[in-house]
Amino acid sequence: MNLAEESFLTDDFLRQLINVGEVDILVGLPTRNNAKTIGSIVSTIQSGLLRGFPRERAVIINVDAGSRDGTPELVTGISIDDMRPGSNLNALRTLHSITTDCDQNAEHGIAFRTILAAAELLRAKACVLMSPESANVKPEWLAAFLVPIYRDGFDLVTPTYCRQKFDGLLMTNLLYPMTRAVYGAKLREPYATEFGFSGRLATQFLAQNRWEDGAGAELRLTLAAIAGKYRICQSYLGEKIHRERSAADLVPVLRETVGALFSALEPDFAVWSAVSGSDAVSTNEAEHEECQGSLRVNRKRLREMFTNGVNELESVFQSILVPNTLAELQRIARLGEEDFEYPAELWVKTVYEFAASYRKSVINRDHIIQAMAPLFRGRAFTFITENRNASGTDLETNLENLCLEFERLKPYLQQMWSV
Amino acid sequence: MPINRDALWYKDAVIYQVHVRTFCDSNGDGIGDFQGLEQKLDYVRELGANAIWLMPFFPSPLRDDGYDIADYHSVHPSYGTLDDFRKLLASAHDRGIRIIIELVANHTSDQHPWFQESRSSRDNPRRDWYVWSDTDNPYDGARIIFLDTEKSNWAWDPISKAFYWHRFFSHQPDLNYDNPAVREQMWEVMKYWLEMGVDGFRLDAVPYLVEREGTNCENLPETHAVLKELRRKMDESFPGRMLLAEANQWPADLRPYFGDSDEFHMAFHFPLMPRMFMGLKLEDRKPITEILQQTPQIPPTCQWSLFLRNHDELTLEMVTDLERDYMYDTYAESKTMRLNLGIRRRLAPLLSNDRRRIELMNGMLMSLPGTPIIYYGDEIGMGDNINLGDRNGVRTPMQWNGGVNAGFSAAPQERLYAPLIQDPVYGYPAVNVLSQKASEHSLLNWMKSIISVRASTAVFGRGSIEFLYPANHRILAYVRRLDKEAVLVVNNLSSSAQAVELDLRGYKGSIPIEMFGRNMFPRVGELPYLLTLGAYQFYWFRLRRI
Repeated sequence: MNLAEESFLTDDFLRQLINVGEVDILVGLPTRNNAKTIGSIVSTIQSGLLRGFPRERAVIINVDAGSRDGTPELVTGISIDDMRPGSNLNALRTLHSITTDCDQNAEHGIAFRTILAAAELLRAKACVLMSPESANVKPEWLAAFLVPIYRDGFDLVTPTYCRQKFDGLLMTNLLYPMTRAVYGAKLREPYATEFGFSGRLATQFLAQNRWEDGAGAELRLTLAAIAGKYRICQSYLGEKIHRERSAADLVPVLRETVGALFSALEPDFAVWSAVSGSDAVSTNEAEHEECQGSLRVNRKRLREMFTNGVNELESVFQSILVPNTLAELQRIARLGEEDFEYPAELWVKTVYEFAASYRKSVINRDHIIQAMAPLFRGRAFTFITENRNASGTDLETNLENLCLEFERLKPYLQQMWSV
Repeated sequence: MPINRDALWYKDAVIYQVHVRTFCDSNGDGIGDFQGLEQKLDYVRELGANAIWLMPFFPSPLRDDGYDIADYHSVHPSYGTLDDFRKLLASAHDRGIRIIIELVANHTSDQHPWFQESRSSRDNPRRDWYVWSDTDNPYDGARIIFLDTEKSNWAWDPISKAFYWHRFFSHQPDLNYDNPAVREQMWEVMKYWLEMGVDGFRLDAVPYLVEREGTNCENLPETHAVLKELRRKMDESFPGRMLLAEANQWPADLRPYFGDSDEFHMAFHFPLMPRMFMGLKLEDRKPITEILQQTPQIPPTCQWSLFLRNHDELTLEMVTDLERDYMYDTYAESKTMRLNLGIRRRLAPLLSNDRRRIELMNGMLMSLPGTPIIYYGDEIGMGDNINLGDRNGVRTPMQWNGGVNAGFSAAPQERLYAPLIQDPVYGYPAVNVLSQKASEHSLLNWMKSIISVRASTAVFGRGSIEFLYPANHRILAYVRRLDKEAVLVVNNLSSSAQAVELDLRGYKGSIPIEMFGRNMFPRVGELPYLLTLGAYQFYWFRLRRI
């Protein structure tokens, strides 16, 4: 019997892992042309490790998708000795930083898969994935993610942030409420670019996940943790500042997030169909708070893109949506700006119908996800309009109502699912 | 075996540290003595040690195990007579073993006649032999060393109604080295023993000889001047003798004690020792390579003195707070194991009696640059008794056999100066010289073997060191070189098997010959040299060019 198998880990990376050996803590850092930010992020990670875990065996693993700006060299070139002047940081042991390449044309999932594989091979007890784009990462974040896992036995730690008003509209209008309604866990950031996870969860997910569809693996890990009844908590990190995204970024983001959520529903059906209502997830420090300031959004452009999308994609929507829903969307698309409203109930039904159509692959699944983009923009327009003058508390109340709408209409999802 | 006449003999030495009291009792009074030690010289020789460092044997009230000397010109009657000492000296020399004795120069016992005179009146000629003050304010920049027992470096003397200065216990007043008469007297003491034939002195507590206001009263230039003066006098009259400094300091502060080859021949490398234990527990070479990188070059005629354990606590003064906490938590979980800023335990218990770790630590001791010192009993894996106070738990009688009193003494057991180790793991029925001599694979025989291999080349005592930094941080690897001879040392600090690739291109063409079994390994080429090592395993390879 031939058990030979192609490995996605290079020999050079394997050699580096052998040299690192078993670790207690693993920090994964996927990158691609992040030279501008990566230096300070790596220094912050090292500082966080030395402050919070001076005795633990730790490694920073950079998986780089073909940077041409020297990002990997920056990751491995930063030494804790550079931080020592003026600080009280001392390292008891070697703090490793290693780097490997992944196919720049491959989906983001290969980087995460590499990190998970490293976690398993190095028998890491606690892991954290860090974003190379976070502009305000703090050393305390490491402890916020790792302490619950390393010392308290949690398997997944997702962040909560203090967000500016209207930051994270996809999270507030879809990912959070739908995940909460379907899986029954009030997890504020089910899709995070930085989060902590246990080696146990990493190993389990690495073996079970369908890696041929790598997009959104981070979200699928979260969903797998909820579905698998792993111990989950949230840690409050404070303000979230990240790179501004252009309108063109929406579809890839939908693919990674909504696509991952929809594709997870199928194997998890037995789990989520038995769930009703939702349970709180324990949170370290502040539950949620709103930062000062509001994200500037071009509302006019949002509505235009919605209207154009509904008109141009009618034939696509006919395959995805039930006639009543499509008719209602077309009615809204004809409304002027003052009268425009994409109500919560219609939005939830739209999302659930998309999810069911995704399952049935009524058309190419990628096209289904792409078709969501204009509808999400329409919903975003309404959410912004409704909450333009809302206080932080009011905004929370409105968000809670939306979540309850997702929960109330969950039977509709189940009905659509089985049609 | 003739004595090594080389002026740099201390570089090739393996030193055996022993207290006369602890080793062998010849007259059945329960206390070890010179005659007993003389009877055991062949044991020391067979072990492979070629020098003995004798801890203080002078008349003393013994409130600090003899480091409180009451008379520098005699021996404590419990240990025998001066003639007994002379006989021991001659017998040792006959066997090629040199004798290094203690010179506790910083302070005396408060029972010393000098102090008795000094305190007797403010007009006494010896009043100024010690450091007196009407207040306890001066020199407040000096730290307190024995934190667990002393609250101040000043003690009130009710007789002379003044404070006297002491850096250690309050019953150990510091001598005043600003007084030329004290310096001259200390040289007289040295001359007395050198004329008798001792081969060197281990100078105790040397950083503290002189005090100056506004300083921490350690490592002062005036102290170095005193030491240089003693060295000059010794070299002039007694060439070939050796001075060893006990200065528990950071490497950069230790360097001046070597001077320009005009102060000490040797100095203990205190900061290295705890880092060897730390590296082993962390399974990471970083603490060891880091401190050795910080260690300055010393003059070619000088030498570091290395040790794993000694009669004192495993001192943690020269580590950071983070490192000290780690050492306490990992090596002294019970608070009773802690003393001052250290851990009062022997080697074997510290290493959980793990033979592999004991061997690895001794392997590093024998192969890192310096002269190794073996603390008596550690060569057989003796245990300690943490129920005894102060540092007495690591100063129990030597365990020669499993018979009466471990073969140490014929006295009734209750008269022994200290109780024997009797626990099931380390007690003398289980751990003793006789049984280990009879067992081919005992620790004792292994120690003889490694000392013998070390002695087969001068490279360990005199060679340079070049660290290799393989990517596997669990591996501590270095090449020791002397002229054309090169020895590759590879230590696995990990509790698991490890693979390591070494960059040996600089030795391309060499054939590594493993020094214990003398087996050849594949020739070194261009490619990284791959080795696998079992848990805590180490290799010594002679790199032969044939």
